[in-house]
Amino acid sequence: MSRISRNLQKWTQDILDLPQDLLFDLPRLTLIGNHELHIENHRGVIQFTSEKLVLSLNDGALEISGSGLSIRAIQSTEVTVAGKVQHIQYIERGGKP
Amino acid sequence: MNIPTMIYIRGYLKVRVRGEQLPSFINALSEAATPVWEIKPTGEQSAEFKLLLSDFKGLRPLLKKTGCRTTILERHGLPFRTSHLWKRKIFAAGMVIFFFTLMLLSSMVWNIEVEGNEKIASEDVLEAAHKEGVYTYQWIFRLKSLDRLSADLTAQIPGTSWVGVERKGTSITIQVVEASVPKKPVLQSPRHLVSTADAVITSIYAEKGVPKVQVNTRVKKGEVLISGILGDEENQRSVVAKGEVKGLVWHEYQIEVPLTKKKNVLTGEYKSKSYLVLGNRAVQLWGYGDVDYEVTKTLSLYDPLTWRTKPLPFGWMSEKVMEVQQTTETITEDEAKRQGLESAFRDILAKYGAETRLVGQKILHDKKENGKVYMKVLFEVEESISKELPIVYNQGE
Repeated sequence: MSRISRNLQKWTQDILDLPQDLLFDLPRLTLIGNHELHIENHRGVIQFTSEKLVLSLNDGALEISGSGLSIRAIQSTEVTVAGKVQHIQYIERGGKP
Repeated sequence: MNIPTMIYIRGYLKVRVRGEQLPSFINALSEAATPVWEIKPTGEQSAEFKLLLSDFKGLRPLLKKTGCRTTILERHGLPFRTSHLWKRKIFAAGMVIFFFTLMLLSSMVWNIEVEGNEKIASEDVLEAAHKEGVYTYQWIFRLKSLDRLSADLTAQIPGTSWVGVERKGTSITIQVVEASVPKKPVLQSPRHLVSTADAVITSIYAEKGVPKVQVNTRVKKGEVLISGILGDEENQRSVVAKGEVKGLVWHEYQIEVPLTKKKNVLTGEYKSKSYLVLGNRAVQLWGYGDVDYEVTKTLSLYDPLTWRTKPLPFGWMSEKVMEVQQTTETITEDEAKRQGLESAFRDILAKYGAETRLVGQKILHDKKENGKVYMKVLFEVEESISKELPIVYNQGE
């Protein structure tokens, strides 16, 4: 993404007041209580056990830990996680997953 | 939620996948846009998930690429059910054949009944019905409508005023209403009317035939009153003589009436006894003790246990021992005579018909002896004296 287009995007977003996840491919998390988590704009699974689920993101990773975790449904950009969610940790790129 | 629709009809599998590169396998699945759901990790390097049956074949390249292995755990859905059933196709076919034959057999006429016919033979009705296509082992759907059948059968079978056809399941009832033909009179052979006793005619009414006597004629027993032969000696015709002849007849009665009469009167006192009956033995259960009545009358009532109107050989019997008081009644001689005459006339009425009329009575002789009244009475009564006598042709020598 060139500098100009990025600036253009930033500008349109400011003007039109659009949500950021649409324009910058940022992840969007929807947590329902602690038993269902819906993540959009992920980039794949890195690690998956019933206690820990690490998802790759555009600029880092998302570590979800809990118990009895399972993926209820998965698509290329969306994933629905069921189970008891205890921690959600955002790891910046370069940080330890 | 992104569980595909109609997973039951399309069929789905529960699969266990093992391999070191499990996350990349899941990523590959999601990139290939293969719908999978309920991914549950079962260990460090294994997980279970569900996917559609049609997507299972597409897993192979992904598995090869990531070095994972799958095991099918469960199979669900219609495709598996049908293949399961297909293994038992004979059984399934049997079920189908059973229902088919049941339907086939129940759409047949199995039974035809003819009701309400008295003069018309059932066979004739059945034959007419056969012509109209109603017979056993006929398909019910090939029958004409019941209204038309009923009309056609009414037209076909002579002597019926209406024929109803009713179908209940596989049986057909043909209800016949016979046309009522006026009754033919009973054939009678030519006859005379003759006298039953020596009498004096009081009235004669000949409906058919020639009256041979007149009122106040004295007739003997067996004399022809109304002749059944018409015409003179050359042109004769015999008919059934009909009519009514009444005459005065005398009856002599010997009557004896006792002057004292014994009468039994129940006093209303009674004692009950109850028995249990087993076979032909009765065991008394209640009502022991002496009966201190002088004269008694016993009324016993046996009530056997029944099973569906069939009496069983055991039951209950109750007895009622009732006290009887005997009284002697004495009547006067006149009263005795009156009673004697009344009972004699009742006897006449019973013997010679209720139309008999008492004209006169005469006590010829009476005496009182041994506490009884003896009488000889002559009753003069008017009664019907005609009797039929068949005419027998004299064939000659």
